[in-house]
Amino acid sequence: MLTPQTLKKLRRFRDIKRGYYSFLILAGLLIIVTMGELLVSDRALVVSYEGELFFPTYGDFHPGSDFGLDYEYEVNYRDLGRSFEGSENWLLMPPVPYSPLENHAPSGIFKPVGPSLAEQHYLGTDTTSRDILARLFYGTRIALYFSLAFMVCVYGIGIAIGCAMGYFGGVFDLIFQRLIEIWSNIPFLYMVIIVFSVIPATFSVPVRIMILLTVMVLFSWTSMTYYMRTETYKEKTRDYIASARIIGASNTRIILRHILPNVLSTLVTFVPFTIVSAITAITALDFLGFGLPPPTPSLGELLKQGTANLRTAPWIVTSAFGTLVILLTLVTFIGEAVRESFDPKKFTIYR
Amino acid sequence: MHNQVLIFLLLSLWLIGCSDSSEQLDKASQDNTSEVNSYYAENPDFFTFSAKEALPQNLTWHTGMDLPDIGSTLAIKGGTEYARLDDFPRTLRVVGPDSNGSFRPYILDDVSMQLAHRHPDEFVFYPGLADSWAIDRATKTIYVKLDTNARWSDGAPVTSDDFMFMFFFFQSSYIVAPWYNNWYGTQYTNITRFDEHTFSITVPDAKPDMDSRVLELRPIPQHFFKQLGEDYVERYQWKFQPTTGAYMIRDEDIKKGRSITLTRLENWWAKDKKFWRNRFNLDRIQLNVIRDTPKVFEAFKRGDIDQFSLSLAEYWYDKLPNDDPDVQGGYIHKTTFYNQRPRPTYGLWINSARPLLDTKDIRIGINHATNWQLVIDNYFRGDYARMRTSSDGYGEFSHSTLSPRSFDIALAGQHFSKAGFSKRAADGILVNKEGQRLSFTLSTGYESYKDVLTILKEEALKAGLEFRIEMLDGTAGWKKVQEKKHDIHFAAFGVNLEMYPRYWETYHSVNAYDAAFTEDGAVNPERRLKTQSNNLESMASLDMDRLIDQYRISESKHQMIDLAHRMTELHHEYASFVPGFVQDFYRLGHWRWVKYPDGFNHKHSSDAQEFHVHWIDMDEKQETLANRKSGVPYAQAINVYDQFAQ
Repeated sequence: MLTPQTLKKLRRFRDIKRGYYSFLILAGLLIIVTMGELLVSDRALVVSYEGELFFPTYGDFHPGSDFGLDYEYEVNYRDLGRSFEGSENWLLMPPVPYSPLENHAPSGIFKPVGPSLAEQHYLGTDTTSRDILARLFYGTRIALYFSLAFMVCVYGIGIAIGCAMGYFGGVFDLIFQRLIEIWSNIPFLYMVIIVFSVIPATFSVPVRIMILLTVMVLFSWTSMTYYMRTETYKEKTRDYIASARIIGASNTRIILRHILPNVLSTLVTFVPFTIVSAITAITALDFLGFGLPPPTPSLGELLKQGTANLRTAPWIVTSAFGTLVILLTLVTFIGEAVRESFDPKKFTIYR
Repeated sequence: MHNQVLIFLLLSLWLIGCSDSSEQLDKASQDNTSEVNSYYAENPDFFTFSAKEALPQNLTWHTGMDLPDIGSTLAIKGGTEYARLDDFPRTLRVVGPDSNGSFRPYILDDVSMQLAHRHPDEFVFYPGLADSWAIDRATKTIYVKLDTNARWSDGAPVTSDDFMFMFFFFQSSYIVAPWYNNWYGTQYTNITRFDEHTFSITVPDAKPDMDSRVLELRPIPQHFFKQLGEDYVERYQWKFQPTTGAYMIRDEDIKKGRSITLTRLENWWAKDKKFWRNRFNLDRIQLNVIRDTPKVFEAFKRGDIDQFSLSLAEYWYDKLPNDDPDVQGGYIHKTTFYNQRPRPTYGLWINSARPLLDTKDIRIGINHATNWQLVIDNYFRGDYARMRTSSDGYGEFSHSTLSPRSFDIALAGQHFSKAGFSKRAADGILVNKEGQRLSFTLSTGYESYKDVLTILKEEALKAGLEFRIEMLDGTAGWKKVQEKKHDIHFAAFGVNLEMYPRYWETYHSVNAYDAAFTEDGAVNPERRLKTQSNNLESMASLDMDRLIDQYRISESKHQMIDLAHRMTELHHEYASFVPGFVQDFYRLGHWRWVKYPDGFNHKHSSDAQEFHVHWIDMDEKQETLANRKSGVPYAQAINVYDQFAQ
């Protein structure tokens, strides 16, 4: 895959500083959110209780009775830490010691409270006193994972079908083109709303997210096939494909070894924009109330809360909007850089 | 060729047939007088035509005229109020599909007149369309003399015939309203016309409040519904039915999708009547469609809307706090009014027909694992009170000592373990020996209470109980419970100002299953859930059924109170309802040009506008807006009216 030409393109991408740094930041962000439980969680990183060490972050919950408390539900590590003061026992909390789901109201009233260092609510709390940073963090994680999975699926299906259409042509192409024309005329957002509103809540949250993903992929793969089809048609008629065929290469080999590497450069330029549209779509769905089921943290839900409390709690909308802007800007910068560095016109004399 | 001709002939014959029958239908629907008369003739037991002389002589006639006035004598007429509608009404009809929406109070419930109305302070009846009435408990009959001045808004007089026609109307299938068909078909047994302004109506049981069954009836204008027929729903969709009340809607004031305006009748027949003269003071009420509540609030703050409900804590404390410049400057007044009336039943309705939920210990455990007190204290900021039973607010009929089960993890745990759930899974949720998780769907159609449910969810986790929250839109949520497909549902039934609570609808087994029990009283193994009924808990208990049946036919108030208490206890014991919260007041923000009577409002009012006792001073509006611009303050007004607090 890494032909000298590709290497050259990658080098050019690195030279476009804005896109390159955006890429580094986003990659860093992905790594950070992946190990998010170590940074944002209501579970302690390490608990040393009576000479024994516990690492509660991943794994089963610890009831209060594990640490000498008189209840059977999950221990409140922040309170536990306070009760340890002055004893041999100690624990270490993550930098943001809140889960995205718990209601933590220092004043005893569930209402939005502004950013506070003392309470470690660095971006404040939302209308039911949940930590906004924690909700943003996990909301972003879900949005990023979701859009990556979306991208992989859409490209997988789009490339396979588009390539087949272009390579085999004829009746196969004709039929599929008509099917795609019909299919792509179904309004995507309405379909998601309709399908998602009939899914019963008995499914767990991850299952519901998977269903949402499936529905969105089902209605989004079509646009990819157009590019693949034309590119494959173009490459198919080139001399090197003809010679490969004369040598006796199989269809699989021709597609995988010769055509795909040559058309991929076009596709790569679309990737970041697909991600942008996926993030926007899931945020919009949440904003409208058709996305992830409550109380799943999500950017759209925060935006909705923010717009309803513009006057009294501007920090909600600022955080959610800020995150969305940063995220989308980063991806767009990467997209621009990729497009520029993969631009085939660079290699031609025609300008 | 022959075939084609034949088909052509058949086709044209069929077309002719079609036009024929539709023409016939049209003609018939032009005037239904003969249809109505023959309906009366077919049901002589129900519709009786008598003569003035046949009216019993020894009746005691009531007029209700000794009751105090309603509203304030200071009220002045005039001005326009601007208010908000959350959605444009789907129809102007007052019955039939889509008619029971949030707009209907403006054309029916709060505005149009009944024979008599319950006095909002005294609970007894004051006259509306009736001039006087007499009650004969022995024959279960109410005699009514209509006010001879009573007029429809189009000038036609209100007569006994409009009440005869009312029964035809509500019993007919044209209106596509099964509830009305049932109610007007079973709750009344006879109407007798003595003359144009005198009639009597008979009810099947002499309940303590049998007078309300009759006196709270509203007539239907027979002359307007001459074309009542199969096409009722479409024909009358956007026609404003003549009203007996003070406000009508003119055709040019219907701006579809945007606004609708009520106009006060200049020569309203009741404008000088004792109980009506100080009310309905505004010349016009313009209702603008604004869907989003935060937007409504912004419009209110600009003065585009005159009043705004501040019942939600976030609006009362945060969005319009006491130190808000408009409140400080006295431009906007904040008012809390404590009222007395039956409370809507906000709570968790547990479907006891579902697996696991059919175990009483699990239901009791869920009661103990639901932390309503935390919601009330921390989310509603202590303003609301915990609901005690599902029939609070009915005075003597409400149980006075019963209290709801408190949030108690230990007790919840005991009951869950009795039902086999004693071990916790890796995420803290209880599981039984078969590996079943203690996990239920908690659904609701109330978007605005989403936060409440997430708080309950987090708290229930402590007891090892999982609520999976399902947010539905209003219609879908209601459909779900009507089809009994819910595990646990958060909802409330709206309740009318009535003397005593109803139990049959919500707790009788006939509303839970098609045949709940066999002849000998055992549980019928083949019973099937009954859909489209209000027994959301699928409660089926022979004891309860017996009490309800007694209660329905009981004619002694004393006995009914005793029965009501026993049923409430039985319901509490069954534990299929987690009582939520009650709000025993309403709160309001209004611009200072909106004026209210001295005591603000009446004891049984459900909201500030219900009795239309407020008025608007348009001069003061100009002055206030000008002074607000130049920064001249008025006296601050944050008032609490707790004369009716309990």
